Amino acid sequence: MEPQKIEAGAPIESVIMGSVKAGFPSPAEDVREKLDLSRLLVRHRDSTFFFRIDGVSMVDADMDEGDIIIVDRAVAPYDGCKAVCYIDGEYTVKKVSLREGGATLLPCNVHNTRYKPIPVGPDDDFLIWGVVTYIIKKA
Amino acid sequence: MFALADCNNFFVSCERVFRPELNGRPVIVLSNNDGCAVSRSNEAKALGIKMGAPLFQIRELVEKHGVAVFSSNFALYGDMSRRVQEVLRRYSPAVEQYSIDEAFLDLRGIQIPDPDALAKEISSECRRRTAIPVSVGIAPTKTLAKIASKLCKQYPKLRGGCYMHRPEDIEKVLKRFPAADVWGIGRRSARKLEAAGIRSAWDFTRLPEVAVRKRFALPGLRTWKELQGIPCIEFEDMVEPRQSICVSRSFAKEITDPTVLSEQVANFAEGAVEKLRAQHSLAFEMAVFALTNRFKEGVPQTIGSSLRSFPDGTAEHRAIVSAAVAGARELFRPGYGYKKAGVVITRLGQENGHTPSLFANPESEQREASLSQTIDHINGSFGRGAILFGVQGDGRIRMSREHQSPHYTTLWSDIPTASVK
Repeated sequence: MEPQKIEAGAPIESVIMGSVKAGFPSPAEDVREKLDLSRLLVRHRDSTFFFRIDGVSMVDADMDEGDIIIVDRAVAPYDGCKAVCYIDGEYTVKKVSLREGGATLLPCNVHNTRYKPIPVGPDDDFLIWGVVTYIIKKA
Repeated sequence: MFALADCNNFFVSCERVFRPELNGRPVIVLSNNDGCAVSRSNEAKALGIKMGAPLFQIRELVEKHGVAVFSSNFALYGDMSRRVQEVLRRYSPAVEQYSIDEAFLDLRGIQIPDPDALAKEISSECRRRTAIPVSVGIAPTKTLAKIASKLCKQYPKLRGGCYMHRPEDIEKVLKRFPAADVWGIGRRSARKLEAAGIRSAWDFTRLPEVAVRKRFALPGLRTWKELQGIPCIEFEDMVEPRQSICVSRSFAKEITDPTVLSEQVANFAEGAVEKLRAQHSLAFEMAVFALTNRFKEGVPQTIGSSLRSFPDGTAEHRAIVSAAVAGARELFRPGYGYKKAGVVITRLGQENGHTPSLFANPESEQREASLSQTIDHINGSFGRGAILFGVQGDGRIRMSREHQSPHYTTLWSDIPTASVK
């Protein structure tokens, strides 16, 4: 074995311990891949928030009580997106319609006629809190 | 060029992120233990609530005007601060976090066609992504950038961002800016300036250099130059390890029981170990202290302290927590009501560059090290206090936090709810 130069501060351990074991080296030794759910679900660490769905299940919204929704404030509202909106002192999920030059918040539950579409005015920017990017639900 | 990004009324703004109905209403956040107001919304400031005002003095105002009152929620503030920092890092690779709600950006060497537009963009991006309002000042020096960010708070039409560079603009601003409020002018210098009849920051820059050097020494001279657009305060994007670590709290109720006191001290010690380990330092000396309520008249008063040393240096949970408990038992005197206690690691060293003692026992050291790593790992995955030493009691600190909001962004059990309608 050739003498090796050791840089100051370099871990000496690796030189001494090295791969001197006899057996067949694992061919997977250098594979560093792994699946990380947060990398999939949290695209922007600065603007992503989690909410829990509260209330009766609504088929149209694909959201059931207890589901966790992932909300990304960095995503600009797009036509047909679902968004967490702040209305009448609470957070509700609405569908956003971006047609005819303006935005309208549509109820996610077509069976409930109590909730009417809400037009978003220029001063209502607080209305849309963030766009829903994922829904986590228990199977 | 430098930018200073300063979160407006930061703790209050964090509370408003998840309670938008509080926009436009007076809101205050109290210090640890619900003592006094440490963050105030503009509406609360307008009511005359002063920074540091004790809650009992402003109770009437609070009730009359329906001021929303919060206990401090550092899990939330820390997480929101991290988010703002991450937005800022999109604009410069060099970000110096100056405090929980303020950061400098080094913009030197970055091509910026329109700095004023950039300042406004940084502010609006912080707002859009995190819901925190941020004032961004850009100027040739850090001291001027700080003044520019204060302008944004005074003038809403600046839309959160302002670039201050033309000499005639700087002159106009400094003439109206109190010298005592300039970054780097301490209370003592402020008194000296007042005595000399120097009121505005501009007046200060008009002093001759020799006079400044003589009366305000080097730090004063630095500020004097910075106000004139000559950068001389270093940019520090590397966090220096702390020279001492202190964890102390006032208790909601006075403690008269030695076991309760030592449990509390054990919790402070555990907090100190977390900080110590986060910066990869070793503790060589630690002081434990406890004192009675000096504001309460007619009761016996005492201040006790106990010094513990670790000749070989340690960062192990068990060694430090048990030394703190021994210290607490030693200093406790019956018949006194302890109102405040704490742990201070007074002598620190770095992990590497440390020579172990001749009498060290590598085997038991290794066992302690892996115990500590396991504790870090468990508490890191399941939340602080998931695993405790018996001497920590239930792990809770006896503070009053009557008005604390949920840990919206750091605990699964506390995330906000949304309904589907």
